[in-house]
Amino acid sequence: MITLNGIVKRYGSQEVLRGVTMSVARGEVCVLLGPSGGGKSTLLRTINGLETFDEGSIDVSGTQLIGGDIVSREVALLKIRRKVGMVFQQFNLFPHRTVLENVIEAPMQVLKQPREQAVGKAKELLARVGMLEKSNARPASLSGGQQQRVAIARTLAMQPEAILFDEPTSALDPNTTAEVISVMQDLAKGGQGMIVVTHGMKFARSVAHTVHILHSGSIIESGPPEQVFDNPHHEITRGFLMETN
Amino acid sequence: MPVSPAFGQDDSLRTIQTRGTLVWGADQEGGGPFVFPDGNDPNKLVGFEVELAELIASHIGVTAQFAQGQWDKLPDLLDRGDIDIVLNGFEWNSGRAERYGTSIPYYIYELQLLARKDDESIQSWDDLITQPAGRPRKMSLLGGAAAEDFTAAFAAEHKTTIELALFEGVTDAMRAAELGTDGIDGNVQDLPIWNFYRKDFPNLKPVGPPVGRGFYVALLRKSDRKLLDSVNEAISAGLRDGRLRTIFERYGMWNDVQAMRALETSADGGFRGLVKAEESNNTRTAEGGSETDVTKRPELSSSQSLHGLKVITQRGWFLVKAAMMTVLLSITAMPLAVLIGLLMALMKLYGKWFVSIPATCYVELVRGTPLILQLYVIYFLVPEVLKYLFPGTQFSISAFWSAVAGLAINYSAYEAEIYRAGLQAIPKGQMEAALSLGMTRNLALRRIIIPQATRIVIPPVTNDFIALFKDTAVCSVITVVELSKEYYIQARNTGAIVELGLLSAFLYLAMSYPLSLLAGRLERRLGKESR
Repeated sequence: MITLNGIVKRYGSQEVLRGVTMSVARGEVCVLLGPSGGGKSTLLRTINGLETFDEGSIDVSGTQLIGGDIVSREVALLKIRRKVGMVFQQFNLFPHRTVLENVIEAPMQVLKQPREQAVGKAKELLARVGMLEKSNARPASLSGGQQQRVAIARTLAMQPEAILFDEPTSALDPNTTAEVISVMQDLAKGGQGMIVVTHGMKFARSVAHTVHILHSGSIIESGPPEQVFDNPHHEITRGFLMETN
Repeated sequence: MPVSPAFGQDDSLRTIQTRGTLVWGADQEGGGPFVFPDGNDPNKLVGFEVELAELIASHIGVTAQFAQGQWDKLPDLLDRGDIDIVLNGFEWNSGRAERYGTSIPYYIYELQLLARKDDESIQSWDDLITQPAGRPRKMSLLGGAAAEDFTAAFAAEHKTTIELALFEGVTDAMRAAELGTDGIDGNVQDLPIWNFYRKDFPNLKPVGPPVGRGFYVALLRKSDRKLLDSVNEAISAGLRDGRLRTIFERYGMWNDVQAMRALETSADGGFRGLVKAEESNNTRTAEGGSETDVTKRPELSSSQSLHGLKVITQRGWFLVKAAMMTVLLSITAMPLAVLIGLLMALMKLYGKWFVSIPATCYVELVRGTPLILQLYVIYFLVPEVLKYLFPGTQFSISAFWSAVAGLAINYSAYEAEIYRAGLQAIPKGQMEAALSLGMTRNLALRRIIIPQATRIVIPPVTNDFIALFKDTAVCSVITVVELSKEYYIQARNTGAIVELGLLSAFLYLAMSYPLSLLAGRLERRLGKESR
């Protein structure tokens, strides 16, 4: 469903992505791991166009982004972003809207759903992430974990084929991290495709289909979690795993 | 140089002689032939009043020193003690004579009716009574000058309505008449001014003979009697030995009427004709020229000085009405300013270069030029340019809408910068979240970014709203009479500077304070939503 082919991204003379090639199947749960500064978040953000890239190509269900091409980019991005949602480290809920309004905003404005339909769906999703009773609260009155669960519901409301999670629990304390991880595990088990940048090994081990180790802008090792975690081939992977455990 | 007014004993003359300078006030904005910068050396002032001041000063044995003041504020400068004498085409009237020491006249002026050459409908003063277009005639006039009183009295006498558009500069008034700005049909002008400027207004014609004869006098503080005596001596000496005639001839101002003053002036320089004229007849005739017409125009309203509660009850309503104009200007201009400002901020922040550069230029140009200039351009220049671009069509922007446009444009530059800061204060993640939900950038701006920025900019925008409230006062330069202008008019008319000043201040406060309260409430409410 998502195919990255030789993605290169430079900041000036520095290459932050050095020819990344990977593919994610429909319904696949894919975890990007690796030391900080390895390019995980940058790679994730190139997929839905929040970052540009210089070489290579990205294909999302038949819609292509070509490195360095900015002319046809806008149209392609609109298509890609309807198929690929994103959850941010800082939640990025809309502070001037209530929880419910945050969730129905895009379905109503982008998909032109009638209000009743959008609200019905939103309530269903808020119930699923355990936030229904906070429907009329403002984001500012919620804890970080609660905000992130609303953000997940907001993304789900667009019915994306895959969701990009950019370090969704890094800004949370351990207690609320567990709430969010449990929601994500439910989604993964329900067949929701996702690409997750995280430091949480437990999450990767329990639900990931594939783990990629990204280091200095390159994928140095890929495979099912048990293979990568229990029998790493690469020196750097071993070092990284020892550090994290 | 401040000159303290003399109390008790009259040291006025001695003070000046000790100081060695006679400080005389005039407004060089009023221009020729009175006081104006020399064409060859703009640092040097010329004009018949410059020479008159030198004549008077040399009679006292001192040198003349010029002090600039806005014309209608010159008597106030006298009151403040900033100047010794005002020489600037001030007409004698009983109101002025009551408040100030007035000299014998140094010039007899007449008023000239002016109309556009191509306007067949105005052939005499009587044509101002008719209303061919189904609306009252509209005349441009120098505010506070004799022409205003004369025209108003003429209308009253003939039981008709003549609209008066009051200007602060004589050339502005003539230009408005020539262009027909805002439906202005003509102009009533002091004859020497018309003679001096006529070549600059080729499309204006004098209509009928001059009318409404009156006298230019020097104004002094009432208490400076000895100085007044010396000034009178100097003027009558100049009259007798022909020096004044030489000066007037130099500026093309000498005419036979001036010689009549010899009849009016007694040997010791006393000024008799006026007293006689005042009690003998008040006839005002549009024909003019006859000898009985050597009369002062009876003051319409400025003869009595009003004070205390009486002035408030009698004139307060004028101020309240003018305050409504202030409100109307503000509440019309500010929303426009915010809207244009937001548009400019968006163009600057999110536009491609061919959009953002013009927006930047607009903001810098508007921010870098004064409001008063922008009002002039809109009121005078824009109709002219439109006429040039689309010949044969009649364009006219009313004073009110010119003022609204000027204020809106001027403030839009500031609102643009406020909005730019507000938009930039929204975290980048907000736009990213909106985009990742499939929104276009425009939709994200409209639904997510602008609403949040608006909450941020409410306090500074309110602040500007209050500032705009007070800046409406500048609009009087294009004849919009709002609270400040009305205050000047009424205060000068009655002398009740303090009473009416307090009332005006109260009115401004009464208008702006509720605004502050409202802004505070909005700020708290919106603040609660996002925090």
